[in-house]
Amino acid sequence: MALARAENLSFAYPASTAPAIRDVSAGLAPGQVTLVLGRSGSGKSTLLRAFAGLVPHFHGGRFSGRVEVAGLDTRRHGPARLAGTVATLFQDPEGQVVFTRVLNEVAFGLENVGTPPQEIEARALEALESVGAEHLSGRLVTELSGGELQRVCLAATLALEPRLLLLDEPTSQLDPEAAEALLELAVRLARDRGTTVLLSEQRPALPLTLCDRVLFLEDGHLEFDGPVDQARAWLEEHQSSFVSAGGDVGVHLRHFGEVACRLDRVSYAYQDHLLVVDGASLELRRGEIVALVGRNGSGKTTLAKIAAGLLEPLSGRVERRGRATYLSQDPGRYVLRERADEEVAVGVGGDLAAASRTLAAVGLAGYESRHPRDLSSGERERLALAAVLAPDPDLLVLDEPTRGVDPERKHELAALLKANTERATLVVTHDRAFARAVADRIVSLAPDREFVHA
Amino acid sequence: MRPAPAAALLFGLAAAALLARHTVSVAALAVVLLAVCLRAPVPRRWPYLIGAVGSAAALFVLTPFVERLPGTVFWSGPTIPVVGTLDVTSTELSGALFNACRLAAVSLAFSAYALWLDHDRLVQAAGFARRFVLAVALATRLVPALERDAAGLVEALRGRGVEPEGLRGRARLLSPLLAGSLERSLNLAEAMEARGFGRAGATRLPQPQWGLREPVALAGATLAVVVGALWL
Repeated sequence: MALARAENLSFAYPASTAPAIRDVSAGLAPGQVTLVLGRSGSGKSTLLRAFAGLVPHFHGGRFSGRVEVAGLDTRRHGPARLAGTVATLFQDPEGQVVFTRVLNEVAFGLENVGTPPQEIEARALEALESVGAEHLSGRLVTELSGGELQRVCLAATLALEPRLLLLDEPTSQLDPEAAEALLELAVRLARDRGTTVLLSEQRPALPLTLCDRVLFLEDGHLEFDGPVDQARAWLEEHQSSFVSAGGDVGVHLRHFGEVACRLDRVSYAYQDHLLVVDGASLELRRGEIVALVGRNGSGKTTLAKIAAGLLEPLSGRVERRGRATYLSQDPGRYVLRERADEEVAVGVGGDLAAASRTLAAVGLAGYESRHPRDLSSGERERLALAAVLAPDPDLLVLDEPTRGVDPERKHELAALLKANTERATLVVTHDRAFARAVADRIVSLAPDREFVHA
Repeated sequence: MRPAPAAALLFGLAAAALLARHTVSVAALAVVLLAVCLRAPVPRRWPYLIGAVGSAAALFVLTPFVERLPGTVFWSGPTIPVVGTLDVTSTELSGALFNACRLAAVSLAFSAYALWLDHDRLVQAAGFARRFVLAVALATRLVPALERDAAGLVEALRGRGVEPEGLRGRARLLSPLLAGSLERSLNLAEAMEARGFGRAGATRLPQPQWGLREPVALAGATLAVVVGALWL
């Protein structure tokens, strides 16, 4: 007997003519972990939102078919009524934080569903402990790193002890160890408590080893629904980029040119005077792609910003030759103009021809007149990439460029980066498969701030 | 101190500034509130102080030109259609100073509320109208959120080798900032609904007991309003 079921579900968002989900039927059994795969914009998030009742109640749009969760028809019972039975962890943790203190944030859902007051704090603390974040309970959410915030948001969903747990790309901001811990926790909940888990992922390697079942969506249509063993074979045959570890992305120059950037024993501390980067050294040569990896909070982004010239180190020396550009983790920062080509042209003095060429290079040909805010999240990522590629920099610094990007696009991105043999590229990433696929050298920023070169 | 009595005290001081009739009294209240705000960390306090002091200064500068009050004329300017002859008199200046101090005091009381109070606990303490208090708390967070967004946009621009220069360069960030805040509010609303916000029968975390300072603050708030109305 399924806990949740979608029958012939179709849905189109109000501003869209094409449906985001087309005729999807699937049941979710208690204690089962189901992985939803698909390209960016294939309807994964929409399917999760349908099980939470947010589609259609929050978004509006055209809805047909039927979704039932724990015997409740989501057309008659909205998300607030389903809360507690269903809990959702969204992609962007910063967009779902209501309170300023961690404990209040985790307690918010418990308060809303009418948990007895004397139980609220204990359950909130228990949930924080289950994700290894009990030490954060008194902290301000603004002080947390992206990974810490993701764990707090997960605790807020677990505190509700839901029967259906919906995780929308929950590991996108986590380092591999934290991602593994999160997914193992989800599996443990399914096995021990019988929680039904539905998660979408763009880094499928690890979830494929842990889940029971796989759904694959293509343009809103359910292309595959079956147990994980069959899914691997099906993916290898039909969607090999989802199971390959990056693959060959072409021949790459092995002889590197002059030094484009040299960091010599640089250190940096933010306002709390805690050293985030302590005596780090790094050299980047033309034609070379270096991947910078490390745990959440290890100082990768800070070091990348120092390399790009956005931060001045407290001590140490920085040598940089030529122009550097930096791609922020947040593609929402590349929406200053009202047309995509004008946005990309910001960095090249308004040269729209150069902007169009760069848009085409990242797969956005024909998008010149589109408003950046009208693009999907995957398209926004590519627009942001075009914005930093357009100036043809001597040093390109990319901070988590594969966040929310599907495996096929990652492959294209790796090929695009490798095609240029003139510039030095620094890629900050949690995505080990991407790092292996793209980098000539992987540099690990260890917790003790020492570098390990691989 | 618990945030509810602290909020009441700040409200009392703002009310006293609105009720007071003497410039010196209002200025003194503004100075006290400015001192409270200046104890906040520099990166957090500057947008509030610029907003409060800047708007008061603008009021002081503009008021004499739009008021028509008798007094010693310090400056007489051209005649402008509809507005009439521009001049600055002693009465207009003293009135402008009084209103500027009043605006500064009220703005600084809000700044102190935004900078110092624990808004989570304020929401918790709301015995009634909790949704309204939560909306106010979220609105209060808009200033630091916009500040963070603006810093992010500037950083992304600098990451493309472009430095936003001058007032015009920074003014171009206003539209994306506004659109970004609307987008964020939609995301937040969706997350709140998914977590059961608005459902009947909500409970809340138990409240810590009041100590001595809380009733003193409430008495101080009442006293400030009475004194402001009668003697200041």
